[in-house]
Amino acid sequence: MFLYSLTLQRATGMVCAINGSFSGGKSQEIVVARGKILDLLRPDDNGKLQTLLSVEIFGVIRSLAQFRLTGAQKDYIVVGSDSGRVVILEYNKEKNYFDKIHQETFGKSGCRRIVPGQYLAIDPKGRAAMIGACEKQKLVYVLNRDTATRLTISSPLEAHKSHTITYSICGVDCGFDNPIFAAIELDYSEADQDPTGVAASEAQKHLTFYELDLGLNHVSRKWSDQVDNGANMLVTVPGGGDGPSGVLVCAENFVIYKNQGHPDVRAVIPRRADLPAERGVLIVSAAMHKQKSMFFFLLQTEYGDIFKVTLDHDNDRVKELKIKYFDTIPVTSSLCVLKSGFLFAASEFGNHALYQFQAIGDDPDVEASSATLMETEEGFQPVFFQPRKLKNLVRIDQVESLMPIMDMKVINLFEEETPQIFSLCGRGPRSTLRILRPGLAISEMAVSQLPGVPSAVWTVKKNVNDEFDAYIVVSFANATLVLSIGETVEEVSDSGFLDTTPSLAVSLIGDDSLMQVHPSGIRHIREDGRINEWRTPGKRTIAKVGSNRLQVVIALNGGELIYFEVDMTGQLMEVEKHEMSGDVACLDIAPVPEGRQRSRFLAVGSYDNTIRILSLDPDDCMQILSLQSVSSPPESLLFLEVQASFGGEDGADHPANLFLNAGLQNGVLFRTVVDMVTGQVSDARSRFLGLRAPKLFSITVRGRRAMLCLSSRPWLGYIHQGHFLLTPLSYETLEYAASFSSDQCAEGVVAVAGDALRVFTIERLGETFNETAIPLRYTPRKFVVQPKRKSLIIIESDQGAFTAEEREASKKECFDAAGIGENGNAEQMENGGEDEENNDPLSDEQYGYPKAESERWVSCIRVLDPRTTQTTCLLELQDNEAAFSICTVNFHDKEYGTLLAVGTAKGLQYWPKRSFDAGYIHIYRFKEDGKVLELLHKTQVEGIPLALCQFQGRLLAGIGSVLRLYDLGKRRLLRKCENKLFPNTITSIHTYRDRIYVGDIQESFHYCKYRRDENQLYIFADDTVPRWLTAATHVDFDTMAGADKFGNLYFVRLPQDVSDEIEEDPTGGKIKWEQGKLNGAPNKVEEIIQFHVGDVVTCLQKASLIPGGGEGLVYGTVMGSVGALLPFTSRDDVDFFSHLEMHLRQEHPPLCGRDHMAYRSAYFPVKDVIDGDLCEQFPTLPVDMQRKIADELDRTPAEILKKLEEIRNKII
Amino acid sequence: MSVFGGDSWGREAQYRKRRVDDLIIEGIDGCGYKKLPNGKLVCLLCPHHPVLDTPLMLSQMHVKGSRHRAAESEQKERELSRQYQINKRIALADSSSTAVSSTSSEVRCGSTKTPLIEQVHKAASEILAGESPQCSTMDKSPDVRSDICYYKKENQSIAKSNATEVVAAPEVAFQQQLDYKNRRERELKLISAGWKRDAHGRWFKDENVEFDSDEEDPNVYLGQ
Repeated sequence: MFLYSLTLQRATGMVCAINGSFSGGKSQEIVVARGKILDLLRPDDNGKLQTLLSVEIFGVIRSLAQFRLTGAQKDYIVVGSDSGRVVILEYNKEKNYFDKIHQETFGKSGCRRIVPGQYLAIDPKGRAAMIGACEKQKLVYVLNRDTATRLTISSPLEAHKSHTITYSICGVDCGFDNPIFAAIELDYSEADQDPTGVAASEAQKHLTFYELDLGLNHVSRKWSDQVDNGANMLVTVPGGGDGPSGVLVCAENFVIYKNQGHPDVRAVIPRRADLPAERGVLIVSAAMHKQKSMFFFLLQTEYGDIFKVTLDHDNDRVKELKIKYFDTIPVTSSLCVLKSGFLFAASEFGNHALYQFQAIGDDPDVEASSATLMETEEGFQPVFFQPRKLKNLVRIDQVESLMPIMDMKVINLFEEETPQIFSLCGRGPRSTLRILRPGLAISEMAVSQLPGVPSAVWTVKKNVNDEFDAYIVVSFANATLVLSIGETVEEVSDSGFLDTTPSLAVSLIGDDSLMQVHPSGIRHIREDGRINEWRTPGKRTIAKVGSNRLQVVIALNGGELIYFEVDMTGQLMEVEKHEMSGDVACLDIAPVPEGRQRSRFLAVGSYDNTIRILSLDPDDCMQILSLQSVSSPPESLLFLEVQASFGGEDGADHPANLFLNAGLQNGVLFRTVVDMVTGQVSDARSRFLGLRAPKLFSITVRGRRAMLCLSSRPWLGYIHQGHFLLTPLSYETLEYAASFSSDQCAEGVVAVAGDALRVFTIERLGETFNETAIPLRYTPRKFVVQPKRKSLIIIESDQGAFTAEEREASKKECFDAAGIGENGNAEQMENGGEDEENNDPLSDEQYGYPKAESERWVSCIRVLDPRTTQTTCLLELQDNEAAFSICTVNFHDKEYGTLLAVGTAKGLQYWPKRSFDAGYIHIYRFKEDGKVLELLHKTQVEGIPLALCQFQGRLLAGIGSVLRLYDLGKRRLLRKCENKLFPNTITSIHTYRDRIYVGDIQESFHYCKYRRDENQLYIFADDTVPRWLTAATHVDFDTMAGADKFGNLYFVRLPQDVSDEIEEDPTGGKIKWEQGKLNGAPNKVEEIIQFHVGDVVTCLQKASLIPGGGEGLVYGTVMGSVGALLPFTSRDDVDFFSHLEMHLRQEHPPLCGRDHMAYRSAYFPVKDVIDGDLCEQFPTLPVDMQRKIADELDRTPAEILKKLEEIRNKII
Repeated sequence: MSVFGGDSWGREAQYRKRRVDDLIIEGIDGCGYKKLPNGKLVCLLCPHHPVLDTPLMLSQMHVKGSRHRAAESEQKERELSRQYQINKRIALADSSSTAVSSTSSEVRCGSTKTPLIEQVHKAASEILAGESPQCSTMDKSPDVRSDICYYKKENQSIAKSNATEVVAAPEVAFQQQLDYKNRRERELKLISAGWKRDAHGRWFKDENVEFDSDEEDPNVYLGQ
């Protein structure tokens, strides 16, 4: 088996983010690391974040920093990754890619303790960079420029210190003196030597300054001073005339200003009043904003509260450190303050947000200050504050994030054309159930009913130079309706259009006149209101029309073509007639090329399954230039011209091209390239779009021509970052469409469906999925589908939180105390702040849940109807119980039908050691049509049931290391059979026929069998590799697919002969089992597939995402990405893609210096998987490189692109 | 740079070459040779199994050699004669089975599949349990349906078994099989529910298994 791996949805979570001016000048951009992806974002004029560039680097990005050489206008990006190299990137605005300026190797690859890459610090003046490891090593690179003003980098200078752990590093701003870097370090040499643990408890963190002597080219430890042991982060304080220099040390509960030769200035971080005393307050992210006259810091705590920190200073002396509550937003991994007045918050979990500053918290009252610091004998007096609504920030945009995907299932619950992906995302109050559908999201602007069922719709401008459309013309079976577009859309009768007849085409012709083609003629409406009418000869009627701005071709019944042109005076003149052999099915004229009089090509589709390209040149008018036969009669034709592009906003270079698209009656979209000189067609591609013949329309998307195809669902063909993408729209079936542009909606589509007129816009181009989010209460863990009722049953749990009632009560108390009327009712509370309009001043989604003691658990079981998105039943578990596993089970010959089993643990604690009070399995029955759950009984078990599964009319449970079979009793579950021989903890159980596939938390899969006649469970095969399993799925009788916590995906298979032996053996291999092999099973499974995804896979499923497509493996990851592995069906494809992959590895090494093959083999050598993400980088290569690779593969670049497109279309 | 870390293109080239070699070899019948782990090839047709270094040697040189050809034709002959034998046997088997109804032949197959020890064990345990012998085993003759003791019957049935089975009416055999199945199913259900049999064939509860308090005792309801 060979698999093709493809990421369908790139990671959506963010690890770190930096901001700067990467394209130079005044523009402000954000560079974001999403694990293995580097993105460049920019807020556009409307405050929407646009992704300019997204690059997969095939490595792990661990840190990012930006720097600017003195006097330069542009920022560079430094990337610390797992490649053992430091990489400096420059963003190339013209060609839209990251240019690798420098790549310096310093160590082994991989995320290691002592190989730098974890921390990056930059000298504020851009003269040096420090890259540090978690332990021991720190390297300093001197950055400079040569005579040609190119950036140069020195060889590394070592600032190592053995036996030290580094917590944070930053640059110290000391103007143009020698660059200094600060680090929080802990020396563990003594603790390491002392077995009593006394030294370990006395270990002390230090703040150390490292000075880079530019003269001696050498780094030395300049100064070291004790800091709080809770210190976790450093923030640079401006210096060199702008401020006092030094650093802010963020520690547990304190912010301390420190500098060499300066006394500590300390202030307490204010606490929320409801925070338990045992909890400290830590700063998790920070941003510094500097203007000419002032600077301030924004520090965010682990609870989401942002504090503004200001320093009162007199030259180099800091007099006071003030902390003022600023606002509360969800906890971020990075905060970026943009010079343009925006705050970008890269959320730790859930959606990211862009905020605009309304104010900068200038009021003089502050919560905490170094001047008011009170020290008592118990320590420093805490300061309290009350969080409030956003005052200084206002959210203007959101970037959706699925991170983390906890569980996912691909099912077609809504009975749509393609299955939906149901995923449990997020954490705590920000958790959601998201329904992903392949396709682009649209936003509906207006829907209005029409008096009849329309057959077609057009929009026309009055003048070619107009920005917006003037009329919407709707054609009915025997009438035409004209609507004028203004403030409102209303019917008009003075437009000059004939309204007593249906229309075949309406368009702007020439510069400023309108044309209406109806079955009996052409009506030409001049700008001054004169009307010219051309009538068809005899009783013949017009069947089809094709036109562009200057040319019109009509086809009469019987197959006669008549060609008109607009002459110099703006008159429509008949030029040529041509008799076709039979009726014309459809026709289209290519758009007039820039600077030309006319287009040369007319495409005519006939019912004899052919498409002809005819010339419209005066020299060879109506001559057939080429002929293409197709599989079914064409229904609609469209020429799509792609203008030549060299970089720019959407990337790669591509020459001008003319594509002819044809929608065939069998539902296939057929696309060929038309040679712009000879009219010859080549490079035909076809794709099945739906059950109806696609109708094709030209619309505008982001200022470029794009194609809308209306089949049984609408599709959009457009160019995004150099790729032509054909993506479905998540919208209902449409009949006819036209582009629409008005001052409310610059780029929209007007369409008719049924008797309604719909106006909509297409959003978030380039995305594969659109999502619908349903909020949940706690972190979702798992879910199952109730197969009959099609409802979802979700288990949610959170540690260290209060139950809904307790929260409700404390909130009330708090509001009463604060004197605010409480508007949020219990229902809104349920879903953790469903929306912002509910006037709840403290929505949990934004402020987080109030924190309880860490041993407290809250958990609930929810029955949710995905169609109505309503929760029909929500059971909150009592007594500190939390749900961990769930399954539906049908007990054999028992009266209840489908029951629900939920595994729970009571009083679970992970620290200092995993412990719990009790484990239970709850059995629920469905009532009221499956909407409500009722507890049948609850059985105490001696471990935590982490896996449950139905098996032969009974319940299999993995309880700790025991696999046990339960039957349903009257008052409890009855233990019928068990096997205690599993190594650690069972986390997954799958069954197929009489086999049971058990996944152990650290020892991969065990294949088991149940023998009824002896009532025994025994293991007959296991894996040789101790894998830390995070997700598992059953592939076939002998094969399981799994993922481990190091980011590997693998398949194991029982060898065929062993499998046969087991099946044939009357004892089922039991005798062999009893002998065993070194305490393991007698047989071993073989690893047949191995692939390093580079992200922890949390859920796996065998599924097909397209109707009639082959099944593949779909997975979701912690970082919020969705990917698929598709098995190849032919050996040729395997050969082709493995060669393409090989060439790309050589010719196009990953951006951040990690070797591709080494990355995909990070833990185990990659086996039989082709990396589609690498192959899909082929179109981004320079043209000559593409040609070189194509030559080596004996193909043309176009063929390779076609192949890539084909395989992608097989997956989604 | 090579994907193996060094700067050598050697591995890549070697890999490519091997792929080309594999393509060349496709002209030869796949079962005629075997690839050894060291990349060499062994011809399976020739009796002395010569080892060849490269696919080229195999496809271009060895295959055209006279000894190989002789071996090949011999192999073909053997194949043909074996096929002939198989056909003959199939034809014979078809004619003999026409007399026996399909269900009883299945039963026979089923019974022969379970090892003898198991059968004996079961028979013994059932007799000891004092059950009616009607459906205890399927080897017993169909005409013995009275209350005669199993011990007596066994002597007869061994002698008669095959002959009588052939003449037995198919309905009777079917009925028997159904009874047997039901019985077997009930027994399996009890076993999987945690019941065990003691040396006297009586059911008792496995101490490691839990039961509902009002669960019926199979000794009571099966004994009737």
